[in-house]
Amino acid sequence: MSQFDTRLDRRHLLRVGAVSTAVSMSGLLGKLALAAEASQSKPKRSCILLWMNGGPSTIDLWDLKPGHENGGPYKEIATTAPGLKIGEHLPKLARHGKNLAILRGMSTKEGDHARGSYLMRTGQLPGAAGIQYPSIGALVSKEIGDPRAEFPNFISIAPQRFFSQEAYGPGFLGPIYAPLIVGENQNFANPQGDGIDALLKVADLERPTSIDSASAAARLEMLRDIHDDFVSARPGQMAKSHSAAYERAIRLMQSEGGKVFDLTTESDRIREKYGRNLFGQGCLLARRLVEKGVPFVEVTLGNWDTHGQNFDLVKNLCGSLDAAWAALMDDLRDRGLLETTTIVWMGEFGRTPKINQAKGRDHYPNAWSTVLAGGGIKGGQAIGKTSADGTTVEERPTTTLDMLATLCLALGIDYEKTNPSNVGRPIRIVDKPAQPIKEVVA
Amino acid sequence: MPSCLFRTALVALLLAPAWVAAADPEIPAKPDPAEAIAALIDRHLTTDWAARRITPAPPSDDAEFVRRVYLDLIGRAPKVAETRAFLEDASPKKRQLLVERLLTMPGYASHFAAVTRQAWLPQTATNIQFVGSGIQFGNWLQRQFTVNTPADEVVRRVLTVKLTLNFQNPQFRFAQGDANDPDSQMIAGFYQANEVRPDNMGSAVSRLFLGVKLECAQCHDHPFAAYTRDQFWEFAAFFAEMNPLPATRPTFVGPIEPQADRNTLTIPNTDKRVIARFFDGTDPAWSAERTPREELARWLTAPDNEYFAPNLANRMWAHFFGIGLIDPVDEPGDNNPPSHPQLLHELGQAFAAAQFDNRVLIRGITRSQAYQLSSRLTHPTQTDSRRFARMNLKSLTPNQLFSSLVAATGHREPGYMRQNQFNLNPQPNNPRSQFLNRFASNEKATESNTTILQALMLMNGQFITDQTSLANSEVLAAIMDVPGWDTKQRIDALVLTVFARPATPEELEKFASYVDRGGATNSSKKALTDVFWVLLNSPEFLFNH
Repeated sequence: MSQFDTRLDRRHLLRVGAVSTAVSMSGLLGKLALAAEASQSKPKRSCILLWMNGGPSTIDLWDLKPGHENGGPYKEIATTAPGLKIGEHLPKLARHGKNLAILRGMSTKEGDHARGSYLMRTGQLPGAAGIQYPSIGALVSKEIGDPRAEFPNFISIAPQRFFSQEAYGPGFLGPIYAPLIVGENQNFANPQGDGIDALLKVADLERPTSIDSASAAARLEMLRDIHDDFVSARPGQMAKSHSAAYERAIRLMQSEGGKVFDLTTESDRIREKYGRNLFGQGCLLARRLVEKGVPFVEVTLGNWDTHGQNFDLVKNLCGSLDAAWAALMDDLRDRGLLETTTIVWMGEFGRTPKINQAKGRDHYPNAWSTVLAGGGIKGGQAIGKTSADGTTVEERPTTTLDMLATLCLALGIDYEKTNPSNVGRPIRIVDKPAQPIKEVVA
Repeated sequence: MPSCLFRTALVALLLAPAWVAAADPEIPAKPDPAEAIAALIDRHLTTDWAARRITPAPPSDDAEFVRRVYLDLIGRAPKVAETRAFLEDASPKKRQLLVERLLTMPGYASHFAAVTRQAWLPQTATNIQFVGSGIQFGNWLQRQFTVNTPADEVVRRVLTVKLTLNFQNPQFRFAQGDANDPDSQMIAGFYQANEVRPDNMGSAVSRLFLGVKLECAQCHDHPFAAYTRDQFWEFAAFFAEMNPLPATRPTFVGPIEPQADRNTLTIPNTDKRVIARFFDGTDPAWSAERTPREELARWLTAPDNEYFAPNLANRMWAHFFGIGLIDPVDEPGDNNPPSHPQLLHELGQAFAAAQFDNRVLIRGITRSQAYQLSSRLTHPTQTDSRRFARMNLKSLTPNQLFSSLVAATGHREPGYMRQNQFNLNPQPNNPRSQFLNRFASNEKATESNTTILQALMLMNGQFITDQTSLANSEVLAAIMDVPGWDTKQRIDALVLTVFARPATPEELEKFASYVDRGGATNSSKKALTDVFWVLLNSPEFLFNH
């Protein structure tokens, strides 16, 4: 190597950690001191998104119409918040009424699964190819996450991305802000028991059983040399990102942190409490990740597309939802994490107040509900009001932008801040004309 | 274990060139327009380098070139026999001849169809609603690259295709081609993937075929460029037929215009009606003989359209260099000037003069000095990637990555798995679909990022584990079986297989000593699997350089 090359390499090595990735190339595959250091600086806030894939029937959950023909057979029950009533199939959650803020005035524009998912998860209408908007998980984790953290800042549990993969992506923020996905339910399987435990692990995190640890260490040592030779001659952002990804992957493999995904270390009592289903165990994993300081975790509960037999299906789904969410609230509260963890519950739209001939409800974005809870949220109240038949919003109509801006305020994020986009124009975290619901923010 | 017969065949491939120089395809007769294109690129870049006191990187060696040109032209790295044949070929024109050969391979059409589809209709890879449309249109594109349909003709056929529109379901507009014209049925996929909407079509057509992103003006006047909201909707109005007709027609109808109201639309949420108009401010000479889409195609592909040819040439440039001469490729304007305006202009002219023959443009670009530079940074003046003073590092597309893994490992992939273009739903027994899913990206080739899950898949995933195991690896078995080789020769063959270059003396020394001492487990065979794993996980394999 010439004099010149040596100088160049050293300068590059020194600079390489400065940007977002914050790892040094010379440290690639080498020292793992960073992990220990990073775990000291946990972010102050976390957010858990409970995503109801398929479009939940909010008229049967949060905004019942008893006595009206659109109301269906369900009754209302009281919660621990005076005057706040919810559907009878959420009894455990009713005990957390004081922590729930129900937004009953949601009124959005998209009644198609893909477009509705994209709208609710990015705040933007899907256009033709052009601007790729980031999902809310990418936006939030960029703001409140630590790029040097032991864990990825955005973890998506059991997503069902078949309606719209873009709605889950980092968009113009780039793959550094992409979610780490665990438990993607690829083929509509309904895993049980050990199958759930296996599914909820990070794909390929474990070294193949055929490779012993001495060989693995030797491989990484050789890889470091050959990696450094190549990238030091071709410096740039891409090489940095590549090095950072390998470094973080190896850190996750080698540190104790990977064990957070092993749910078998929890007691049977706790695991039963969350419910022995993918969503329940996913919520348990979400709690464990928040304990480790992960700033944004989302858990998906699917099968809400109840065009037929709505009331049987919703009752069944409520069983999973109620147990898992209530257990999550209990555990966060008991650990002192509820004040710093904001929970948002939503799907891509609500469902028609009018009950169809198949005893189902169809897609309905015009008047429906979402829920905010926990940290930064003034609970025990419902904001907004729908008409007696549930078809229109009569008070405080709330757009997706309003709801997302409210979430940002609760998390302490300046939603008017901009990010550079792929089209050269800076774009706000939550675009105009967002009007956050200030009375919900604590 | 791999069959003995197969392994013997692999051994033969490791040792022998795949083709002989005598079988070279013909070189096009002179005057060769590709030579003129290469010369004009060289002239402009050399002048620019001199003016900026830039010292360009040295030319790529044959190994660097062969890997690069295979990846860029047929979408995978070369197999070891292909590399060996090229390196051993003594012909002074062998780079040019290799390009000719690659242009005739089926992989050329399928790779260019795939990258064009990804650039034109990215939504068809990720949105389940558009997948079928993407496959249809991609198949049509592949046919066009196979028969070398001129690039302007491809655009003309897309714009003027005969369609039957169906608006019965207000949530889902439906465009069908002519039942007697299979091509039109496939082209209809382009419209379907744009939801058969005038606004989507208008923005796609101006962005893809003219390099002008009008859609920022969809809701408000463009902040940086001189396009207004009215201009956006006037352009979209060439596709006004894709709006359902109003339920009740107005009772008074004035003198009937040639287009009736098929070139007119109302800007949403306003009362404003606009008539189709080109964004340079000119109007078509409306006639009953031609539909609005035909008018648009005539203007757009006309020789004097100042946007069309440079845009297509620039997109081809960006394919080979990772960065366009205007970049982003679709945002002309004061804040995004071309890096080499005159080169861009002349490249567009030359492409048009060559009747928009993609292969001529490809020959010209790949013969240029800039395309053949090394990617190694050898002088501090080479850091600005927009000066093309060294080859930019480019990420591999998911298909390039997996196809290169297939080439390097000898994995036998069933044909139907190779056809997979859809990254949404990975199938358990289809490793390509799993790679497409994990490596899906819409980032620029020079600015892409690696994710943790991608790194984990490459290090620990089933496919690489299988392909580097003694029990399954065809390549390792073949390399171990070559009689009379010492360890260094086996290492050299392995490096040639994965990196398409001979091993350096340092690599030979280091890896051979590791293997000879039995690695970490006292088994030289297992130690060789470690080396193979290291090579497959190294950035030299994972990037196009």
